[in-house]
Amino acid sequence: MTEVHVIGVGMTPFQRAAREDLAGLAREAALLALRDAGLPPAEVGGGFFANVLGPQLTGEMTAGQFVMATVGVRRVPIVNVENACTSGSTALWLAVNGIRSGEFDVALVIGAEKMSVPGLGLLHGGSAEIETQLGLVMPASFALRAIRYQHEFGATERQLAEVAVKNRRHAAHNPLAQFRDPVTLEQVLASPLIADPITRLQCCPMADGAAAAVLASGRVARSRQRAVRVDAAVLCTGSYENPADLVRWETDRRGCQMAYERAGIGPQDLDVVECHDAFTIAEILHTESMGLCGPGEGVRLVEEGATALGGRIPVNVSGGLLSRGHPLAATGCAQLVEIVQQLRGEAGARQVEGARVGLAECMGGDQSADAKSCTAIVVSR
Amino acid sequence: MKNELPPFAPGIFRLNGAGTPPVLLGSRCPDCGRHCFPACDLCPDCLGTPASVELGSSGRIYSHTVVRTKPPLGLPAPYAVGYVDLVDCGLRVFALLDPAQIGRFSIGLPVRLAVAALGNDGHGEPRLRPYFTADLA
Ligand SMILES: [Zn+2]
Repeated sequence: MTEVHVIGVGMTPFQRAAREDLAGLAREAALLALRDAGLPPAEVGGGFFANVLGPQLTGEMTAGQFVMATVGVRRVPIVNVENACTSGSTALWLAVNGIRSGEFDVALVIGAEKMSVPGLGLLHGGSAEIETQLGLVMPASFALRAIRYQHEFGATERQLAEVAVKNRRHAAHNPLAQFRDPVTLEQVLASPLIADPITRLQCCPMADGAAAAVLASGRVARSRQRAVRVDAAVLCTGSYENPADLVRWETDRRGCQMAYERAGIGPQDLDVVECHDAFTIAEILHTESMGLCGPGEGVRLVEEGATALGGRIPVNVSGGLLSRGHPLAATGCAQLVEIVQQLRGEAGARQVEGARVGLAECMGGDQSADAKSCTAIVVSR
Repeated sequence: MKNELPPFAPGIFRLNGAGTPPVLLGSRCPDCGRHCFPACDLCPDCLGTPASVELGSSGRIYSHTVVRTKPPLGLPAPYAVGYVDLVDCGLRVFALLDPAQIGRFSIGLPVRLAVAALGNDGHGEPRLRPYFTADLA
């Protein structure tokens, strides 16, 4: 099978009220990735543009073709992608499969989101109408997981909050993260309750931002020293089984397991991980789903420092969604940008020493106590 | 008087008058036995044609939380929600919990269905919504 490599990455700062509009943010990330790859845009054979809110906020369709044209990508197939929080990683999945199929040798993937717009309320993740009508908002769906988790495993609110402290500590070394000041456990716990037991500092903030990657076949990537190989890219969908187990997330486990099998590795082989820490409890559940520890052991992993920079398996050294902010469609691409920089040894003060194998995990959408979409991408060098 | 208000959505619950608790409505597929809430007209497992059934009015709390952000749809601030395991059919359903009992919910607590004016239709008109309440001492 054709090998696929990441040969260029780039991302904008993630921030509130960015000066640029959606297209401007997307173009900036794309230019950074193309320059990083050192590749003329005429070499790009396919484009994938991920964005969630644009069409609904502005009514604009096919934003991807517009953006790609501004960076010299024309004539080739271009697809606009929406898959909630996994939009960016779904676009990566499409690009990987397009290259593997032989359709093109080089693809440009952009994830971009502009969220600082008037009147944007709490996002409900596209829940079924009935659940929304009965008051299901995103923080509530994770709070319900947290309360159940605490009940089953005796985890404390302090233990959950440790995730926010850790990821903020990481973000101090990421100049592109929205929040870089450290927070104490006391500050996290004292911030306003959003949905018990989740406080504001345990919820990822909104952001404007974009991230991009240039992917290429082994033939194109062969001579490139900084190329990072994609060993597995998995996209899967919820099973919506009822009753759903809120603390052993079957869809998440299935996605990660499939990625390990395809990459021919196990969780013990990972050096660095980015996961979808939209809320503190989410990172705990994901670390367990990824098999970094057993069920109920995720909080201990954080407490012992295993998932911190310098620990056994650092998780979200970028600062994660909790510190970076979560520009929906940009997040999946930003995770890959971080892992690629880590494997290249270019992550500066947040470098995980000797990182060789990385995993980016992402989930999105909410239906019947399940995620609608889950991605897991394994890369190595 | 208050029960003359329209429900927030059709086909979700049935009021049974004084002395008899309201019940949740759903469907059951005669071919594979799958229950759905709310009722569906096509079984998502075998594409059979489900029949309408009552899903009962009693359950146990599987998880619960209190939402303290600005409530949507005119729901009370704060409001409580949870997942409730229905005793009769085994479905785990997302539901509102009695806003008057905030702070008193626990996992495993037996609850029963009630219906009252709770929140609105998105345009400020009050609506009936089902919620689960506990018989607390
Ligand atoms: Zn059926």
